[in-house]
Amino acid sequence: MEPVSSQPIVAVKIDEEHCSACSICSSVCPFEAIKKDPETGKILLEIEKCQTCGICYSSCPSHAIEAISYDMDSLAGYLEKAKQEYDSDSLVIMCKGSAPDFAEVEKLFGISSFVPLSVPCVGRIPGEILLRAISSLGMKKIYMLACDTDYCRYEKGSAVAGRRAAVLNLLLEQLGYGREVIEFRRNSLKVKVDRNKCIGCGNCAFFCPFDAAKLESGAAEIDLELCRGCGLCVTLCPALALELEHWEGERLSSSISRLSSEMRKPSILVMRCQWAAFPRPDEELDSSVRVIDLPCAARVDPMHITEALANGTDGVLIAACPEDDCRSETGSKESHRLVASLKKTLAQIGLEERVHFCSVAPRYPQTFYEELQQFKERIEGELSKEAGQ
Amino acid sequence: MIVTSQKPLDEILDFLSPYRAVLLAGCDGCTQPPRGIREARTLGQIIELASRLRGKELSVSTTTVAKQCDSYLALTSLEPQTKDVEAVLTLACGLGVQTIAEVLPDVPVFPAQNTLFIGAERRETATLEERCAACGDCILEFTGGICPIARCPKSLLNGPCGGSANGKCEVDPEKDCVWDLIIKRLEKLDRLSVLEEIRPPRNFWQVARPGRVSE
Repeated sequence: MEPVSSQPIVAVKIDEEHCSACSICSSVCPFEAIKKDPETGKILLEIEKCQTCGICYSSCPSHAIEAISYDMDSLAGYLEKAKQEYDSDSLVIMCKGSAPDFAEVEKLFGISSFVPLSVPCVGRIPGEILLRAISSLGMKKIYMLACDTDYCRYEKGSAVAGRRAAVLNLLLEQLGYGREVIEFRRNSLKVKVDRNKCIGCGNCAFFCPFDAAKLESGAAEIDLELCRGCGLCVTLCPALALELEHWEGERLSSSISRLSSEMRKPSILVMRCQWAAFPRPDEELDSSVRVIDLPCAARVDPMHITEALANGTDGVLIAACPEDDCRSETGSKESHRLVASLKKTLAQIGLEERVHFCSVAPRYPQTFYEELQQFKERIEGELSKEAGQ
Repeated sequence: MIVTSQKPLDEILDFLSPYRAVLLAGCDGCTQPPRGIREARTLGQIIELASRLRGKELSVSTTTVAKQCDSYLALTSLEPQTKDVEAVLTLACGLGVQTIAEVLPDVPVFPAQNTLFIGAERRETATLEERCAACGDCILEFTGGICPIARCPKSLLNGPCGGSANGKCEVDPEKDCVWDLIIKRLEKLDRLSVLEEIRPPRNFWQVARPGRVSE
């Protein structure tokens, strides 16, 4: 018998006992990770292909899929707590990809107080959670903010959520809750160019994985229809002429300086692709660790890493998706290259161990915490080495 | 463009050691990779950090110049920013360093880069390769647009030499024999006959150093 501890914890599992083998999960899975075994008729999940989008979880009529992240119990638990904390009867459910910033949500929907729920893809929210928010928590209105359909990190997530909202609205209307109880919108974050700052070097046009950047009359231009907001061009722009909405350089700089000052020593700043690890909605990390979630590892800017170190942060951990999982094509790979090059410079002053690049995927939820723990031990080792000198 | 590589940090820290406040100036001109404001800010933070590790506070302010080798641009963009600093460190090539030295006679200026060569950027391989020796006597019209002065270790005008083997150079078998490339290209263009004429030795008077051209 295999020892239990050698099996990695996986984020999604199929509970054979409850599964009715209806195949809905396999038809909604955007990544062909779920298939019906032609011989046994059983539904099988290939975890290596799974991107942990949760669309199968939210679509399963038999509750036969188990999800570790953002499962029904933790969502319901969070909502109950958040309802008291925010004291509002409006719930805003937003995809991290389209709305990382609450102020922007206020502007988009014209509301000033709301219970926020930020999730990786609104397609993973089961209809039951929406109904429970209305019937048991007394929510009067639910606003859902998804990404544009062609921008959805999980391909079908935004479309699935849109259909689900439409069906539930019909049901809620029939039940007498009124019209359009769920207001559904789409929004995507894109790169903007300051043509006055552009020096026409062509980095953006050469590196853009989506052919969205071009040089027009010697300066960069971004085709917003094609831009997927990974931020690679922004990180590679030598003139700081590009900005990614909501992850502007100055905004990240001020987060870094604020977080650097509030961390307990030895302090670790994690710059993480928001699709590489899924924290619990109410997760609290150790006070020596702070996380900046980014749209892709491609937006991990070496300039911000040095800024964190210069601000007194003891270590910077970069958590990216494995290259094969990266939804920005080359984002993870380019990020790895940029961090490696920065580490070479830092090696000249003995600080290369202070920065570490790791690949993690939410399908194995433990790996991020293991990497963090190892890095923490390494930083503690480095600091005691220095103190001993 | 002018290709440069960053000096070792120790060297930079050594020559900056007498100062407490320096201005680090990027150059948006032709240095490759473009050493503009992003690189200035990144290196500035590393220098501040490294200086602190050496037990000294050094404040590095940053800026960038469209083209440091232009005396007008260098003076007008840098002069107002040098009031509160004791020295300027520049990310430009040797031209930028010298232009600043000329236009700001009272401020010490230091190079953060070693200037390597005039190179072409090959995006596919992410390499910068020497392509022009600025010899002042261009013969590219006879060589199919490929320069043997810059790319042949012997700068042969009538190549290849006997050391060319299987299209590779005897000096560095990793590198292509540039004369092999020239012949293949001229063959393809059906212009091989231009090589029938023997090129006489170059006239080195053509490029009296230091060069000077009136605009």
